[in-house]
This record gives sequence, structure tokens and C-alpha cells, in this order.
Amino acid sequence: MDDSTKRLLQRLIKRIPAQMLRTTLDKWGRLTGDQQKSMDFTQSKWALTEKMLAVCEENELTIKHLTELEMISIIDNPNKGMWYAFQLMDPQDDANSVELTQFKEQFKSHLRELVIHVSVKIKKDTDDAVWIRIAWGDTFSRPNHLKPTYVVHYLQSPYVFVTSLTSKQKPLLSQALVLSTRYQAIKDANLSGRKLTAIRDLLMRKYQQVFPTKYPSPLPENNQTISNPHIEEEQAEPAANRLQMACEAFGGGTLPQLQSAVYKLETKFRDNSNKTMTEREEPFRCVVKFASTNLLESLRHCASAGIASTPVTPLLSCIPQKGRNYFVITDNGPGPSSQMRQPQN
Amino acid sequence: MSLLKPFSKLPALNSANILLVESKEQFQQSLADALVQETAFTVNVRLAKSLPLPMENEESRPRIDLVAFIIDLTSELSFQSAEASLKCLDPGYFLGKVCFMVTNARNAAVPVERLDAIRRLAASLHCPLLFAEDQTPDGVGNATERLLTILKVSAGLVPMATALYLSNLTRSTVPPDIDQPSFD
Repeated sequence: MDDSTKRLLQRLIKRIPAQMLRTTLDKWGRLTGDQQKSMDFTQSKWALTEKMLAVCEENELTIKHLTELEMISIIDNPNKGMWYAFQLMDPQDDANSVELTQFKEQFKSHLRELVIHVSVKIKKDTDDAVWIRIAWGDTFSRPNHLKPTYVVHYLQSPYVFVTSLTSKQKPLLSQALVLSTRYQAIKDANLSGRKLTAIRDLLMRKYQQVFPTKYPSPLPENNQTISNPHIEEEQAEPAANRLQMACEAFGGGTLPQLQSAVYKLETKFRDNSNKTMTEREEPFRCVVKFASTNLLESLRHCASAGIASTPVTPLLSCIPQKGRNYFVITDNGPGPSSQMRQPQN
Repeated sequence: MSLLKPFSKLPALNSANILLVESKEQFQQSLADALVQETAFTVNVRLAKSLPLPMENEESRPRIDLVAFIIDLTSELSFQSAEASLKCLDPGYFLGKVCFMVTNARNAAVPVERLDAIRRLAASLHCPLLFAEDQTPDGVGNATERLLTILKVSAGLVPMATALYLSNLTRSTVPPDIDQPSFD
């Protein structure tokens, strides 16, 4: 087994959490029954790596087989690393009828036209997500399996989620995606986060939506149990209104776990008590970052507790409405006027 | 601006009404559940986040015998909200029908100035300042007992004692060395 294969295997065993190791190896299915029985999963990761190296030598497994294992482990545990969302623009007439085999063939052939040495693996997951693993090489070297790019695309939706992509690889991937999905362009959706499930749920609105309604609570029934007749809340109605408005802005139930929101301000400085700063012509550049373990939940709580004024300001409510967490705010017009983010790296 | 007035309504027989004002709306729930357990007389608890109270409840609201402001020492917002709510009380309440209850005083991250400010506020208004522990059922029970003691007198259920008389004994005072720097 050559060096890079060994390194890949070591990295894989380190990366897969101990409790999921058995199930992941079962799904991979490249170990014989005896080998599986002889694996002792209570050992340390280092010992397990040695055992796996021996097993792979025995079964003569190559790096291609290991990439299968890597893909299975990432599909099962996608909430690591930074994921970036992209949106496909301007569908052509047959964009909605692209189905899996056509997409696979087209994508592989387009990418191979652009990059001679590239290793592409495509797999469809149970929830209609197409997972693509790309190991990039160039004209002179073989594909580097230690730095793969993962792409997730939901067919018939314009959304693509990517992790570990360098700026050199970006135009190649964009071209291949646009051609194989029958759209005309791809743009940055300005949404990024550590948890793929969270940014996917946010963009595709897979959480409970609350709609404005004149009568928010159902009609009271006759045998309604009152909590305690001696305890009465004076301000129950304003509290219920605040909660309703907070839920309308952010959603009800469990919200996708977004970790941060960044606002890049390029507005003029406005403070009546500070004349020198207000008189300057250039915009005052400032970056505001909100960070939390569950940002949308904390914003919703701020609004329902009255800390953030209701109705919720469009600066905050546009995070779930537009499905982005990077905003550039300039002075033109009311509310956030979003601009395309230029790639920094 | 509608002030809450202490004597504009008639009292009810053998009952006492207390208003708990808390910006965070957490401790007041557990306090309310413990307060209504009292069996010697009927305790009615009204909960609010801040004053002024909504006009819609004006008719159904009974006469409030005691207004207790619950301030969380770790939150500046809590203190400011309580201070702002004081303006909506009729001055008649400050003759023994208002008390302050402070939680989280043992927290080391609390700036000393905030506790001093609350002390000065309570002393200037001649109101008692109670400290409570809200995380354990014992703490809630102790706070309930102390509130009930003051409530009974404010509601007139203790013979030969009035709220004004009690407030002379319980009102908070500012220690003379409050402006000295503390040992930190």
C-alpha cells in the first residue's frame, strides 16, 4: 500500500467517531465476515488503524475503495467543515427534467474535459441528494485524494452546497455544474455554516413556517383547564403578540442551527453627538458579527422577550427570509441592499 | 399616564393581592406557584413584565396590596426596567406597599456598582430590600415566606400593624461606607 493510501486510511479512522465506526464499516461492505468479527472496537484509534491497515493489505484494497468509505462516513456525518451554498440561475427549458443518470454522465464528461486528471464519484442518497466527491489533479499529477471537494446538489432545485473548494477549482466546478444541470449561471448564495443539515434546511425552508393570522390561538373549548385561577398575567396579550411576531419572522418549533451572521456595513456614520465623525464623506466601514450555538433560536427569543423590538427589523428577519448569513449594507434605499460577494481567497 | 393607585378600590374579605413585576419573567412563575399555596387566606398573584399595566384589565383587577419588583442582579436591563416602572406607581404605594427582591447577588460577575445603585434606590424610597435565591425550591420557599409576611401586613390582615408601621422597621438603609472602595 502506498503512502498516500496509508495516510488516507489513517485520516479516515481518526475522523469517523468511535461509536459510528462499526456501522460505517458494515455499510462499506469490503470486510469479510471473519475480519469484521475480529475487529475490536473498544481499542484505541491507533490500534484500530493498525488493524485496518493489515486488513486492507489482506484484501488488496486500493485508494478507490477507501474513497468509498470516506464518502459513506461524510454522508452519515456531514456536520463538519465549512459548507458554502450556491444557487443556480436562469434555468433553461429542460432544467426541471434533468434526472440522475443524465446528470451523472454530463457532469463527469464536462469535468473531465476541463481537468484531465480528476477522480469523480457520484452517489445518490436516500433523501434525493446527489453527493459528488471530486479529487483534483492537474496536467502533470494524479488526483490528490487527500484534499477532496464534496458537492451536494438536490436535483430539480437550484441549490448546491460545497465544501473544501479552492479559488482555482471554483470556476471549473461552476462550469461543469452549470452545463450538466441545464442552467445558465451559478452565483454565491452568501450562506455558509458548519452544519450542512442546518444550511440546507434554512435555504429549502424545511422547518416549521408560521404565517400571519388574525386569530392565532384556536377557539377555546368548554372544558378548558385553567392553570390556577389565583394567578393572572397582566400582560399576556402583548406577550402573545410578541411571540407570534417572533415566530412569523423566524419560524416555529426547532430552527436550523446557524452559527453566525455577518453584516458588513458601508454606511455613513450617524451620531448627532459626534460631529467630527458625522462630517466625513466616506462611509464608515464596520463589520458586525453575531455568533451563537443556535443563532436563529436566540434571535427569536430576543424578539419574543421584548429585547429586540417587534415587528422584527428586516435586518434580522432577512436571515431566514432570504436564506443568507452574509450581508453588505449600504446607504441606498431602506433595509439591507444585498450585493454579490466577491470571493476573497 | 395611568398610575396604579393603592386605595381606589375596595378590599375583599380575607384575601391579599400581590403584583410581581419582573423583566425576565422567570422567577415570578415559581414564586407565584408557591404563594398561592398559602391556606390561611386567599392570595391572588398578578404577574407583569413592567409597568404601566394594560388598560383593558383595569376593571377586573383587584386592589393591589403589595408590588414586588424582582431584579436580576446580573442584568442591567432588569434594573433599568424596574426603575422605569417605578414612575407608573402612585406615590401612595411607597408608604410600605412596595418592596424590592434581588436575585443572583452571589454571582461574582456582578459589578458592585449595580448593587449599590439598587441599595440607594431602595433606601431613597423607604422600601425593604430582600435577597432571594431562585434556583432551588428551598430558596423559592424562603422568598415566599418573607413576601407573605410583608403581604399580610400590607393587606391589613395583621391586627395592630399597618404597612407604614412595618416599613419603618424593614426599610433598606444605605451603609455609611457605601462610597468606599471594596476589597477586590
